[in-house]
Amino acid sequence: MGQALRLGMELVAGVAVGGFIGWALDRFLGTAPILMVVFFGLGATAGILNVMRTAKRMQADAQSGKDMPHVPDDDDD
Amino acid sequence: MIEAAYAAEDASHGTHDGGLPNPMHQFEIKRLVPFELFGFDASFTNSALYMVIAAALITLFTVFAMRRRALVPTRLQSVAELSYEFVANMVQQNVGTDGMKYFPFIFTLFMFVLALNMLGMLPYSFTVTSHIIVTFALAAFIFIAVTLIGFWKHGVGFLKFFVPSGVPVVMLPLLVVIELISYLTRPISLSVRLFANMMAGHTMLKVFGAFVVALGFLGGWAALAFMVAFTGLEILVAFLQAYVFAILTCIYLNDALHMHH
Repeated sequence: MGQALRLGMELVAGVAVGGFIGWALDRFLGTAPILMVVFFGLGATAGILNVMRTAKRMQADAQSGKDMPHVPDDDDD
Repeated sequence: MIEAAYAAEDASHGTHDGGLPNPMHQFEIKRLVPFELFGFDASFTNSALYMVIAAALITLFTVFAMRRRALVPTRLQSVAELSYEFVANMVQQNVGTDGMKYFPFIFTLFMFVLALNMLGMLPYSFTVTSHIIVTFALAAFIFIAVTLIGFWKHGVGFLKFFVPSGVPVVMLPLLVVIELISYLTRPISLSVRLFANMMAGHTMLKVFGAFVVALGFLGGWAALAFMVAFTGLEILVAFLQAYVFAILTCIYLNDALHMHH
């Protein structure tokens, strides 16, 4: 559940940040709503890019066993 | 106006008209010591109180556990050593040996978030990390610090981080903007993840707690059994989210120090 939530969040965060940047630029330059639409698309792309990267890292971590917290074995056996 | 709203909220004791407790009541900020600074409301709240408790607990724990520095550690000293080694390994694996300079910060961050999450699991306590402004302040601090470290280590060359390699020049302006947005989402996803997990979990606990009472002696046992299992899961989530917060900080730090995805 945690991993799926994380991937979904990455996607939404990309769109939200992109949309916000577009909205702020629009307000600043008075070009509403062109930049917001453009940055919405760019944000979605960035979100998908983030999801791909996170998924890739998750896969690499799962294969090397790094996805679980690593506790060193300090037994003396 | 606001005072009246506060008074009404206090009078209702967080109950709906139906009599069930309001699951959001537990997240309410209460002003313990009202205080104003340059026109800003800087009151000492219950949130601030729990942060102070967490900081004091961690300091007491580490100082008290390590006071004897025995070669054969006591149980408490073992716990302190284990948490040290746990974070040290995390930094070592994800950032590398040159990242150990930042170990004190990562350790403090991990222990602070962990203590806040775990304190929230106590009945009648307040979960500081269930407020997005707290987690966002932490994430924004990390984001700005990591970016500054990147520029400090690599100078203007850090901007190459946003230029993907092996791409036709025509595509570059578009890709740089996308990379920049992707970089800017980091504080958002970092803070929302911790906040959403903590808030959703505690709301669920409260809702099912209300079911136990509402379903009465006959039906309440099923909800109670679920509550017991879910409390165990919430303790796991409290630890895991502190771990994820710390490890993502390590990953961002690694990006700033070594500049590769």
